[in-house]
Amino acid sequence: MSKLQPYSVALALIVTAIALSPLVLSGGNALNLVNLILIWSIFAIGYDLVFGVAGMLSFGHAAFFGVGAYVLTLLTTRLGWDFLPALGAAGLAGGVLALLFSFFAMRVAGLFFALLTLALAQLIYILAGSKLRDLTGGVDGLSGVPRPDLFGIDFFSDANYYYFLLAMFVLAIAIAGLLRVSPFGQALKAIKGNELRAEQIGFNVQRLRKSIFFVSGIYAGMSGALLASLIFYVSPQMLHWTTSGDVVIMVLLGGMGTLFGPVLGVALFEVLREWLSTVTSHWYGILGLIFIVCTIFMPNGLAGIVQQIWQRFSREDRR
Amino acid sequence: MTAEATVGAALSCRDIEVSYGAFKAVAGVTYDFRPGRLYSLIGPNGAGKTTLMNALSGGVPLSRGQVTLGGKDITGLAPHARTRAGLGRSFQITQIFPGMTVFENLRLAAQAHRYRLQPFWNAVGGFREIAREAERVLAEVGLEQFASVNAGNLSHGDQRALDVGLTMLGDPGVVLLDEPLAGVGHGDAAKAVALIRRLAEGRTVLLIEHNMDVVMDISDEIIVMLAGKILAAGPPEEIRHDQRVRNAYLGEDE
Repeated sequence: MSKLQPYSVALALIVTAIALSPLVLSGGNALNLVNLILIWSIFAIGYDLVFGVAGMLSFGHAAFFGVGAYVLTLLTTRLGWDFLPALGAAGLAGGVLALLFSFFAMRVAGLFFALLTLALAQLIYILAGSKLRDLTGGVDGLSGVPRPDLFGIDFFSDANYYYFLLAMFVLAIAIAGLLRVSPFGQALKAIKGNELRAEQIGFNVQRLRKSIFFVSGIYAGMSGALLASLIFYVSPQMLHWTTSGDVVIMVLLGGMGTLFGPVLGVALFEVLREWLSTVTSHWYGILGLIFIVCTIFMPNGLAGIVQQIWQRFSREDRR
Repeated sequence: MTAEATVGAALSCRDIEVSYGAFKAVAGVTYDFRPGRLYSLIGPNGAGKTTLMNALSGGVPLSRGQVTLGGKDITGLAPHARTRAGLGRSFQITQIFPGMTVFENLRLAAQAHRYRLQPFWNAVGGFREIAREAERVLAEVGLEQFASVNAGNLSHGDQRALDVGLTMLGDPGVVLLDEPLAGVGHGDAAKAVALIRRLAEGRTVLLIEHNMDVVMDISDEIIVMLAGKILAAGPPEEIRHDQRVRNAYLGEDE
């Protein structure tokens, strides 16, 4: 524990540096990139609660992410809701949908669970593009997604919106950090470590899993809503299974089961996406190759690398 | 096997059956486990000992029959709910949380036992009562010096002790122990037997064990299973001289 603490501090510092970089960096592109990183980080932190903490591989998170985006968009543009309550409703919608998914998918375990969540999410994706066209704008999506209107600050400026996103990001990290070290988070860790034993010492395994799936759905729904608001647009693409795939890759790249790892993964993923997509149109394939190489050579992700470096330095200190 | 016997029993099963397709692993077992006694379940491999234990703890669904704990019907309860109702269980293969320290392992059991809704609003270190409970059991199973050791790095015998600690933490009235001595070295065996004796005080214990010396030594009653049924049951002396048991099981050893 005491050996790990300084390493966590190192990770936290890196993450803080990424999050605060727009304060020193200038240029709209860099700012946009950091805004994207903040939003996807909220998504990835929430995803890792299910994946890294509770040990469930879900391919359904695109649904919670996308539905959150649609809920915010529809509530603000059609029903005239304010941004903040609509954002809360987007989170709630993501959470409730996740809970609904869990009732079906948790009847099975492991890979079958992953496949069921994938199937359910694709169902929502197809519905959004076809049957629900009147509501969702079909494959064209909906534009004109607003940003918050608070304290007379002009959040339509990316530089100002950055502060709003930063606040949400800090809140997301703080809550996830608390959940992880709370008895609730410890119980989930126990389930991941040894499900049979966890059940036999008296944990209601299914209920605990459903609870964290609900929380993770809230994270997904809110981050989806924030992304729609960042790009003023929502389309079924956000519901597509590749969105779930992206967040899995981000968390694995960064280091699953750590609080700050997913943020590093998101940062690497987004920087690579930004850079590669200007070089070649086959950027997604190259990203895939990089991901494969990374999982082979750094199975614990970037957080694992940071930990290794930290241990090397601290060992040299002692000599 | 009257109804009155069930009322006084700590744990009892009525005509329970567990079948896998056409195969009946447990084929109609009725038994009353009286409070405060130590029962050993013996029988050849495949006799259905572990399946019977799973049926009692809720690990496998029954195809027929009823299980009651202290007179209350628990047939429909999931394993975690049976644990909460006071039925502890350990497994043939050591079941601990290897990525966590010994103390954290026991604290998890304290959490599971104490909270119906797992608190999420504060760090686990802020809940003193579960730490106290974990420390108490830590001392009971003699692992104080390993409190901050990763449970996966303990010796096998100590992992076994931790396993027993996890089972005992909620102070269950009835305890099911599946081969607690399996894989425990000769040096640790006496310690493990002493631990079992200690935890059996004031509790009802059902033990699966292959070491006949231990079984004959510590049991109040021995239940012999064969092909999913109870072949014989009684005090050790009686079982030792039971001709059916000798033919079916003990004869092989002697």
